[in-house]
Amino acid sequence: MSDRSQLIETGIPFTFDAQRDAEFERLVKRYPTRESMILPALWLAQEQEGWISAEAMGYIADRIGTFASQVFEVATFYTMYNLHPMGKNHICICRTLSCYLLGKQEIVDYLKHDLGIKPGEVSEDGQFSLEEVECLGHCGTAPVVQVNGEFYENMNVDKLKELLATLK
Amino acid sequence: MQVKVLSARFDIPDAHKIEVAKENGAYSTLEKLFEMQPVDVIELVKQSGLRGRGGAGFPTGLKWSFLPKNNTKPVYLAVNSDESEPATFKDRYILVRDPHMMIEGIIICCYAIGSHDAYIYIRGEYTTQVKALQAAIDEAYAAGYLGQSIDGKDFRLDVTVHRGAGAYVCGEETALLESVEGRKGQPRSKPPFPAVEGLYGCPTIINNVQSIASLPFILTNGPDAYKAFGTEKSPGTHLFGISGLVKNPGMYELPLGLPILEVIEKVAGGLRDGRKLKGIIPGGSSTPVLTPEEAQTVTLDYESMAAHKTMFGSGGIVVLDDTVDIVKLVENLIYFYHHESCGQCTPCREGLGWMLKIVKKIVRGEGTTADIDLLRELCDNIEMKTVCVLSAACTMPVRSYLNKFRHEFEAYVKSDVSCQTAM
Amino acid sequence: MAEKVKLFVNGQEVEVESGKNLIDAIGAVGIEIPHLCYHPALGADGNCRMCLVGIEDGRPPLVPACKTNVAEGMKVQLDTEKIKKIQRDIMELELINHPIDCPICDQAGECKLQDYYMQYDGQKSRMTVPPVLKAKHMDFGAGVVHDQERCILCARCVRFTRLITKTGELGIVNRTDYARVTTFPGRPLSNRYALNVVDLCPVGAMTSKDFRFKQRAWFLTKSESLCHGCSKGCNIYIDHNKEKYQDDIIYRFRPRLNQQVNGYFMCDAGRMTYKLENDNRLNTAQVFGKETSLNETVEALRRSFSQAKKTVLLVSPNCSLEQMHAVKKLSATFNTVLSGYSDGYINAGDGDDFLIHDDKSANRTAFALLGIESSKSAFEAALDGADLLVSFQNDLCRSLDDVTLAKIQEKTKFVYIGSYQNGFSEKASIILPVASYSEDIGTLINADNILQRYVKAVIKNVQVSNLIHVVNLLGGEIKNHEEALTDLSATIAALNNIDLKHIPSEGIALTGKEVSNVAA
Repeated sequence: MSDRSQLIETGIPFTFDAQRDAEFERLVKRYPTRESMILPALWLAQEQEGWISAEAMGYIADRIGTFASQVFEVATFYTMYNLHPMGKNHICICRTLSCYLLGKQEIVDYLKHDLGIKPGEVSEDGQFSLEEVECLGHCGTAPVVQVNGEFYENMNVDKLKELLATLK
Repeated sequence: MQVKVLSARFDIPDAHKIEVAKENGAYSTLEKLFEMQPVDVIELVKQSGLRGRGGAGFPTGLKWSFLPKNNTKPVYLAVNSDESEPATFKDRYILVRDPHMMIEGIIICCYAIGSHDAYIYIRGEYTTQVKALQAAIDEAYAAGYLGQSIDGKDFRLDVTVHRGAGAYVCGEETALLESVEGRKGQPRSKPPFPAVEGLYGCPTIINNVQSIASLPFILTNGPDAYKAFGTEKSPGTHLFGISGLVKNPGMYELPLGLPILEVIEKVAGGLRDGRKLKGIIPGGSSTPVLTPEEAQTVTLDYESMAAHKTMFGSGGIVVLDDTVDIVKLVENLIYFYHHESCGQCTPCREGLGWMLKIVKKIVRGEGTTADIDLLRELCDNIEMKTVCVLSAACTMPVRSYLNKFRHEFEAYVKSDVSCQTAM
Repeated sequence: MAEKVKLFVNGQEVEVESGKNLIDAIGAVGIEIPHLCYHPALGADGNCRMCLVGIEDGRPPLVPACKTNVAEGMKVQLDTEKIKKIQRDIMELELINHPIDCPICDQAGECKLQDYYMQYDGQKSRMTVPPVLKAKHMDFGAGVVHDQERCILCARCVRFTRLITKTGELGIVNRTDYARVTTFPGRPLSNRYALNVVDLCPVGAMTSKDFRFKQRAWFLTKSESLCHGCSKGCNIYIDHNKEKYQDDIIYRFRPRLNQQVNGYFMCDAGRMTYKLENDNRLNTAQVFGKETSLNETVEALRRSFSQAKKTVLLVSPNCSLEQMHAVKKLSATFNTVLSGYSDGYINAGDGDDFLIHDDKSANRTAFALLGIESSKSAFEAALDGADLLVSFQNDLCRSLDDVTLAKIQEKTKFVYIGSYQNGFSEKASIILPVASYSEDIGTLINADNILQRYVKAVIKNVQVSNLIHVVNLLGGEIKNHEEALTDLSATIAALNNIDLKHIPSEGIALTGKEVSNVAA
């Protein structure tokens, strides 16, 4: 956990595109209160833009009819919400327990060396971003890496090299 | 040793698809279900002895019976698919390989408790799993197993998937409810308990995925068939996740009550060649570690674990061999729990960060004996002083490592500690 | 009477009110349970864990007192070694990441962390690792400055903006020990009660831009009074201090609990009216621009009275009941016309459904009780043929524009007997300063017919007379405040059965009927 309270303001008004707008309206009917839409709406914004700006949070708060401070709280509490732009390939390495026991550090070290970025950073060309994350629930096939949401299990440096070659 | 109760369809190709699942028995309990009275369903589940598979092991049928009588408010079911306890990876097999077993379980549960709206809370990290789950739900709607009239009966049931977004604490049932309601996942004080005042202030039952998925078997085959597996007080089967330093890590369905060492040896292939056992985490990272000596007499059930001052937990077994540096392992664990502390209660919010800094100091070789003692004391000072048990999920295992492997901590500590004073 | 239950605290039987939580119920009989996040107006949150108490034979045996209601026969343990250790441990954890910058902290002297450290902790720091660093002096808007490092995350401020003002500007972002109170970008504190978060904050995390670094809390004398900012009559503390060689200065107003009137809070505008008591005050009497003594001024006034063909006395709706009564009697003695015209004190539409009223005067209800006519038409009629207008604290410039006033002044001499420099005092030929409410004693009836007393708080280096004394010097019958009260009780039917000399701290609710009967 780090401080996530420094939001990026784009200066550009945010709105959902037609697809997300329709999805918002579909989902809102599923809950007895509009506030329940805060997490789903933040996901929709992230799907649309890849990350969530201050403007997107303000838009969501107003659309739902809740306090911007509450959307801000939620967006900073849940660590999967990206509060700044990520690389085209966002690589998450599980750092917890079984992945730790089975050598996640070698994978992190290789990626740091190969991509020239540390966890939490985005490469200059915007192609890669790196993040160490907590347990991904794939302990039986540790260590595990997640790239743009896809799981890669039983990872080692050789397999990682092959994977990176397909991404570059 | 392995059995096929919950995992019966796991290896059938395309069993996640509704046609294949149906061919292999999915949704076949519904006819029987709707002929029964809801109270009889609850009674049946009570008789089966099914205990909550999320970690606490609370009897499922008993939990359902805590719903208030003469209730006029809506009743909600929240299915806990947060599965974020490190070393736990069982529920996702159900979500991906046999989601219809869980949906059928949801129908059974909702009919029993009188709920028409179920929310499945799935952790945000389960990206591919959430797609599989949603696809199955869409299939079930299309086939008439969900929606306005289930299986042609006068019973409406809507199931909504609510995605988390990276917060371990949302596996705590009231934090989960907060998250569904659109807030930070900060656990609520109990009482009131969710069965009385849960989601949107209404009576709510929260069950783990595996608990729910166990229901079709119990309904089809009866409580005795379920109780035929396992021990008297810990009946049934469990999807054990075995990970760490063994030859064949993985998810294995086993009846409860088997000797832990035998399971590690025979099911998971034993330790890697030439390695010696150092310890076993028996039920997820929050459970106190067992030494090889203690493990000799441990069986995989709630009672044996309790007798050995640890817990069955989520059934996520992690094997530690003699290459493991316990101090660094503890650093890894405290890092996790500190990272996941919701920040609500003073002891957990401030204390876990302090513990992390102390253990890091020890790992850096800058620690003192006083730091080890302080770390140990902080476990006591923090534990059970908070709204939820997240802090205890950290302090219980850390205390066990400090008690059982203190020599490893001392090896990190500089020799002379007499001149150490507090700032 | 509320129902009572008997329970045991540290083995001692106590009888307390039922239906309350342990903190409030046991606190009411003088036994403190330390707490930081609980506040009676905001409800129990249960995050600080400082109020954990033992319940003998209880399940669970350890409970947060804020979330636990009293029950008959309950055995509460506050003084066991276990509970004392918990309190010490919680305090230690509260303080490990706290900057402990008490020497430069405005809260010092009235800080719960300081108090509780002394009472419940008192141990040496065991913190040998770097603390968490957060942001300091953040401008939250509305005059509130926040220090994230001093903050203990009790969420009182957050709950205030969500539950009380329903504006929700504040939130606690992040989790774990990175959690911090902040505002959303571009949406700062912007409600009219924002400064209450400064009072609510149990530590020095929320400070008032207006007050910070001005005074140490322990030098301030805290005097009980009533806000005169509107007709709500919020109970306040006047915090003032007379430094060596200086005058007695007011540094802040703070709300004072009165469940019948304002609860725990007051509005920001009312809070800032303390400035009117310090600045732009009338200090010297003047007769036609020449500084005069009290005696000279009274002489000049008496001459004006005797020479005038028709005199109008204009009383302010901010005058106390006693002052109004004295002026009313003076008016009767000299056969003058009495008016309470003060339409300009009403700011229509400004009020809300919480504490702020449209009427920016404190005692208009007393007009009705005393039968003082305040309509514009009656005032205009009174002015017809009048050659002397004597205002008692009433700034007529708030009600009439300059052109109208100039027209009146062509025929009528203006006299101002009051405390403040204002538009009307500048136009007046004779000015006589009198004590303001912060320097005087008096009674007010608020918009909800609650009669309340304020007492003398400030003693200025150069003391001016109080208004009743001046009225007496001018020939008024009433000599002082006491006499006014005696006479009010005797002559005003609605007050016949009220002991005006002993008004309880929560005030006395007059029924609407009593007030309107007299007005008729």
